[in-house]
Amino acid sequence: MDKCIACGLCAEKCPKKVDDLYNENLIKRKAAYVEYAQAVPLKYAIDKDNCIYFKKGKCRACEKFCPTDAINLEEKEEELSIHAGAIILAPGFTAFDPSEYLTYKYAKHPNVVTSFEFERILSATGPFQGHLVRPSDHKEPKKIAWLQCIGSRDINQCDTGYCSSVCCMYAIKEAVVAKEHAGSDLDCAIFFMDMRTHGKDFDRYYDDAKEKNGVRFIRSRVPTIESVEGSDELIIPYVNENGDISEESFDMVVLSVGLKTSPELIALAEKLGIDLTEGKLCQTASFHPVSTSKEGIYVCGAFAGPKDIPQSVIEASSAAAKAGACLSVSRNTMTREKKVPEEKNVTGDRPRIGVFVCQCGINIGGVVDVPGVRDYAESLPFVEYVTDNLFSCSTDTQDIMAQVIKENNLNRIVVAACTPKTHEPLFQETLISVGLNKYLFEMTNIRNQDSWVHKDEPDMATQKAKDLVRMAVAKVALVEPLVEPELDVDERALVIGGGISGMASAKSLSDQGYNVDIVERSAQLGGMALNLFRTWKGEDIQKNLSELIESIETDSNIKIHLDTELSSVEGFVGNFKTTLNSNGKQEVVEHGIAVIATGANESRPDEYLYGEDSRVVTHLELDQMFMNNDPSLKDIKTAVFIQCVGSREPDRPYCSKVCCTHSIESALYLKELNPNMNIYVLYRDIRTYGEREYIYRKARLAGIMFIRFSVDEKPKVSKDNDVLKIELWDPILEETVVIKADLLALASAIVSYKDEKLAQFFKVPLNEDGFFVEKHAKLGPSEFATDGVFLCGMAHYPKPIDESIAQALAASSRAVTLLAKKTIHVGGTVAEVNPLFCSSCGVCVSICPYSAPSFIEEGPFTGRAEVNPVLCKGCGLCVASCRSGALNLKGFGEGQLMAMINQI
Amino acid sequence: MTDWEPKITTFLCNWCSYGAADLAGVSRLQYPPDFRVIRVPCSGRVSPKFILAAFRHGSDGVWVSG
Repeated sequence: MDKCIACGLCAEKCPKKVDDLYNENLIKRKAAYVEYAQAVPLKYAIDKDNCIYFKKGKCRACEKFCPTDAINLEEKEEELSIHAGAIILAPGFTAFDPSEYLTYKYAKHPNVVTSFEFERILSATGPFQGHLVRPSDHKEPKKIAWLQCIGSRDINQCDTGYCSSVCCMYAIKEAVVAKEHAGSDLDCAIFFMDMRTHGKDFDRYYDDAKEKNGVRFIRSRVPTIESVEGSDELIIPYVNENGDISEESFDMVVLSVGLKTSPELIALAEKLGIDLTEGKLCQTASFHPVSTSKEGIYVCGAFAGPKDIPQSVIEASSAAAKAGACLSVSRNTMTREKKVPEEKNVTGDRPRIGVFVCQCGINIGGVVDVPGVRDYAESLPFVEYVTDNLFSCSTDTQDIMAQVIKENNLNRIVVAACTPKTHEPLFQETLISVGLNKYLFEMTNIRNQDSWVHKDEPDMATQKAKDLVRMAVAKVALVEPLVEPELDVDERALVIGGGISGMASAKSLSDQGYNVDIVERSAQLGGMALNLFRTWKGEDIQKNLSELIESIETDSNIKIHLDTELSSVEGFVGNFKTTLNSNGKQEVVEHGIAVIATGANESRPDEYLYGEDSRVVTHLELDQMFMNNDPSLKDIKTAVFIQCVGSREPDRPYCSKVCCTHSIESALYLKELNPNMNIYVLYRDIRTYGEREYIYRKARLAGIMFIRFSVDEKPKVSKDNDVLKIELWDPILEETVVIKADLLALASAIVSYKDEKLAQFFKVPLNEDGFFVEKHAKLGPSEFATDGVFLCGMAHYPKPIDESIAQALAASSRAVTLLAKKTIHVGGTVAEVNPLFCSSCGVCVSICPYSAPSFIEEGPFTGRAEVNPVLCKGCGLCVASCRSGALNLKGFGEGQLMAMINQI
Repeated sequence: MTDWEPKITTFLCNWCSYGAADLAGVSRLQYPPDFRVIRVPCSGRVSPKFILAAFRHGSDGVWVSG
């Protein structure tokens, strides 16, 4: 594998074509292949099951043509045994195969595709380069339908009772992207049962898809797809919301297939001895969301329940935190330190540039005249040495390069080869090995961005390579060695918020060997969970909560600060200094990282007679009645739940995520107390995602009535001679239903604390709903863009206990990646201010997403800007925005970039 | 003027567009060789001065992508 340079010649010469699984078998690939263009490492492989040599003993074309002898057809399968202290299961899911659904004609009609196939069709690296065409005739479709819940929420045809959680959102995304590709004339219709867009900002996306993008949403379970004889068209017959039968024709139908556990995975689970759920998903508990039933084995991702990317990323970090806690005693016991020679000081020396032009076998050399480029480079200013290599990246060439640098006393290096994104670190290592600063290097890309893409124009490609080398030489002559200073990290952690998330995070940090200060504004630990009765899985929340509180109180690594708030925060990642205020008593805590876990609150409804009639209660009030064993509960004849009270409304356009499940769980408990009770749940979409769907089904089987309403026709609650009356329009019965209730439970919205003070202290943003904004919606859900500050729980977005705890573990896991380093390596490519030129305009301070620039507070340059190199990510936003020319980005300085531009 | 080739200067963000240009290579997508790429750490680094300078030095087009 080390020898493969990913030239792709093996695939080009391989005579065997096979279905391309990555592209959902929509096109062919070769038996010698790279799974996808973005693969890391980018190495080709032989598909043993299809290779002619492995099947028939003859061929070996790949071996013959491989320029680097990278192919070893004699390689044998090896069995490795690894001693591990913990195991993390992240095996993912298998998409439901809809061919068993005969009525949907997936196997029979080419224009019925799965959502996974459609995803590939939309992709620029997909079978049609992102051009939206239908498979049957490669014509652009005019009308596309999506059918939801294919292989989900269905026990009749596929035995998958749960909701796959992600399909509603991905179908909307696919429809919106399809319209972006094909133009707004494309008609997109999504047939669904309940629209489950419960994630952060998902409802806004749903609303936009409907209102701005014109995606049609049709609430109907489609029974079958009919094809038209002699035509590629497809007909969808369906029953609309009023119960009328309609039909519509489409050019293409996308089946939104669900997420399943593969039979292989079920066998693995059996082998490992871990318990699975009814839906064959990994069994976990709400308070231990990434722990399997077997100690030391942790789980993350869709195997522990279908979930989207952010939640998978959260769980991945949580599982790492749990494994990290098991292994914390052995941390750093197997690390080795690399010896590097002392760096040569070349500052002020005349540039002596060495240019190495790579042939990459025939990859570059076959198109670009490499000797010509080499000779051209020799004519450029300050160039003292030029050569061309067959493979610049090979180990022996690296040794020769090191030798050459020393012998010729070179102090700047240019490599013209493949992409710096994969190979820059390798060449920089060679520089470091001979005592040259790694920033005295410039790589220019004459393979991926030249020879590979201009195959038929060798002269132009050669000219381009010469230009690129000239530009690189011009730049490298001006680069200076950069330092990467090290900074000590204070190994103490500060957790803000003593609710479930804060406590779980603090406990996890302590379990991983760190000291924690946990700050709680109220007089006791527990937060919002103190008001909750039980989880949807039936777990007793108070019992679990008191265990968690006790584990915090008895943990010698954790210091608890009750009745405490923050009064100031100074410093930055690794070195924060926070002043705590407890009833006027000030205390300064020094810490390296901070976790924000300040939670959220239940809103007070201002409708449905709340506050005017004692029978109208919120979720938390009802839970309190459950916990108090309120005797009046048993006497209730009719109970009504109203959903989305203050959520998904124009002034609060987000879903509070937990309420549907909470209402159903409460309704079921009322049924337990009194099986004869009449219970109605008035809802807009039931969002019991994942295996929560089971309790929705259980509730319907228990006789709980679900009646849907729309936001334009909300239920009306009135009091008539002390009778609590709820009226609403039933779209199925087509009449107004009147319910006389003894209890009305309102699923009131979860609202943020809009903690602007805290946001300012740590220089982290709040969104328009007042929730904290994470670093990246998908890939950085438990941390902030500002280094050293982490995020979990409902301060991020409303979420249930299991997800709060998972995110708390994730936040501590991310924090430990910093704490465990003990020192922070500051990057060399950072911005710096020349205060003499600074006009104190503040543009850099306001524009930086990482809070790196600030105003100098004392000394001769008070009021001018400075950049904290520790926080700077080197993007250069401030540099380009500076009107005074006071800012410079080291490594990408104005002079250096101008030098390149001059050479165009 | 049929064989006239424009000279296009591109400023590509290291994290997205530059990577995309690499991927185009891996996929062997062919395109005209008129582009000269300047890799920047973020398209935010591109100052208007650079764009003007590129035109001044004979570029027929400037493409900032990130």
